[in-house]
Amino acid sequence: MIRPVRGLAVLAAFIMLATVLLMARAASPADDTVAITRLINHMKQYDGRTVTIRGEAIGDVMVRGTDAWITVNDDEYSRNSIEEGGELVGMSNAGIGIWLSSTDAEKIRICGGYKNKGDIVAVTGTFNRACKEHGGDTDIHATSLEVVKEGYPFERSFPWGKLIALLALVGMAGGLWWYRWYVKKAGLREAHREY
Amino acid sequence: MIFKPTREDLKVIGQGIGRVILGVGLIMLIPLVVAVVSTEWLAVIDFLIGIFACVAFWLVTEMTCKTNRDLTWFHGLIVASAGWLTAMFFGAIPHMLSGHFKSYLDACFDLMSGYTTTGLFLLQDLDHVSHGLNMWRHLLTYAGGQGIIVIALTFLFAGTAGAFKIYASEGKEEKLLPNVIRTARAIWMISLTYLVVGSVFLFVALLFEGMPAGRGFLHSVWLFMGAWSTGGFAPQSLNLLYYHSLWIEIVTLVIFVIGSFNFVLHYSVWTRRRTEILKNIEIRSFAITTAVTSFVLAIGLSKGGVYTTISEFLRKGVYNLISGHTTTGNATVYSNSFVGEFGFIAMWGIIIAMAIGASAASTGGGFKGLRVGILTKSLWGDIKGLVSPESAVVREKVHHVRDIWLDEALVKGTMLILLSYVIIYFIGGILGLMYGYEPSVAFFDAVSAGSNTGLSTGLTSPLMPALLKVWYIFVMWAGRLEFLSIFALFGMAVAVVKGKRVGRR
Repeated sequence: MIRPVRGLAVLAAFIMLATVLLMARAASPADDTVAITRLINHMKQYDGRTVTIRGEAIGDVMVRGTDAWITVNDDEYSRNSIEEGGELVGMSNAGIGIWLSSTDAEKIRICGGYKNKGDIVAVTGTFNRACKEHGGDTDIHATSLEVVKEGYPFERSFPWGKLIALLALVGMAGGLWWYRWYVKKAGLREAHREY
Repeated sequence: MIFKPTREDLKVIGQGIGRVILGVGLIMLIPLVVAVVSTEWLAVIDFLIGIFACVAFWLVTEMTCKTNRDLTWFHGLIVASAGWLTAMFFGAIPHMLSGHFKSYLDACFDLMSGYTTTGLFLLQDLDHVSHGLNMWRHLLTYAGGQGIIVIALTFLFAGTAGAFKIYASEGKEEKLLPNVIRTARAIWMISLTYLVVGSVFLFVALLFEGMPAGRGFLHSVWLFMGAWSTGGFAPQSLNLLYYHSLWIEIVTLVIFVIGSFNFVLHYSVWTRRRTEILKNIEIRSFAITTAVTSFVLAIGLSKGGVYTTISEFLRKGVYNLISGHTTTGNATVYSNSFVGEFGFIAMWGIIIAMAIGASAASTGGGFKGLRVGILTKSLWGDIKGLVSPESAVVREKVHHVRDIWLDEALVKGTMLILLSYVIIYFIGGILGLMYGYEPSVAFFDAVSAGSNTGLSTGLTSPLMPALLKVWYIFVMWAGRLEFLSIFALFGMAVAVVKGKRVGRR
């Protein structure tokens, strides 16, 4: 008679512990890194919640007084750049604007672009589906930013194949130009002789 | 009876197309200079390949199609339609070589989208492209807005009496000045003046918003080109949302509204006939349709409950609506926000605005305000006729630079073009449905492509079915040239196959 009661008590304690752990986890979602596409596709679900994203700082740091805007992309190209042999995965970039203190923004040394791989940053902050402070922009107001990996300039190999194609085209255009000039000159000579 | 085109016809057409392609090669010199200044050497090679390919093609046509014959209407129509297609294939060379496109079809899609000032794109990883390629993307939409034929006319067709035929075949039947070459140059003078003024405003706004001077300069020029041409391209993947700036939004809004006005109207205002702005049927039509669609948008957004304040309504709602109405495509929201945040009613408000489009003989697409005005007036005339005494003669007129009396031929022609737009919107929507997209999504992107707008719900992507890509290329091209040139090209194809041979014409 005693054993089942003890078993139930253990089960109840286990369920309570699991519930507490799950609640604690829900209360601090900042532990989780959320993909930007997930945020954009489930705006309502994440609106007003604290989230952490991790990706490449892109473009420019635009300082506005004591704060600044940056853009962070976490798409496939931010992980495997095309310039470094990454595949084209059939999608555009996935990025989001981050509103943060200019002090945090100063931590970013290199922003991604044609010549550079940008710093990889981890940003924690509040996701806004339609930010009241910024005219309805979808953004994240950051509370912290950490540079996980520093950016660097891309190294590109020289495209010898393209150079050969270019030389062939230059030769072809030059040859055609010369032939056109030659025919024109020959025609003029002929006309002159007839005259 | 259909006659087979003669060898001489083909020579005239070949020579015309060759000159258009030379024009494309000459325009590539500008992104080449930008790539050199930015020390983007690989992009330099891409543009050199593109330029020499254009020059080689032009030389081949100059030698094989040598003729002194002038263009007829038929030639003008074919040069315009086939010239745009050929320009797409040659212009796509630097795109393809950049390594940001999965296929040549995708590169051609972006080219046609640029030339036709649509603004949809399949380019992948836009945030890592070179300044040279970004300049090319924006420049081709700026050049396409004025009309690539206009460019060729300005520099390469000077003095030919057939020039008007090719000019009108590009969807611009109105002349600013009696001489078509001077008209083409006047269009360029207007556009270049606005380029300088608009870029200065944008540059100041970008500096004010914290953008570094060097990139700020390039972004200001690109943003101007995208907005003025009603193309809607922007240098970053987030489009206007990248800047988080009310000032940039205001300046671009003003630019694309002005850009969507008829060049004839611009010229009237420039020549001190300012009252034309208030009297012109296109401006009135635009004001009314903007008010009506804004009302629909307001109902939709209030139901959605996401953009609730005046500021949000204006910056997220009205901005994107007017961007759609002027067939620009600059956006301050994510693509999927049109579905998720705007909701069904607001989305259809934007679809209607896109379908109506901008002004005739402007950089924009769609039905055009002039046609909406003509049809509305015609309908009003019919209603007045019904309630008037039988002996009364009811005639209606519209004011577009001068008073134009409506007659049956004008209304019929307007109806034909309008019906053609409705058909391409409808077929695009049905194709999207057949591929399993939501009806609102399928019609939104179909109307956006057909009206040369460029807003998207996310359907337009490199992963979309190839048939849809081809269809969108076709409708962007057909919509921009307003169908007549396209009908002529198909007519010529039929004539080549089934036409009867004739002697010398």
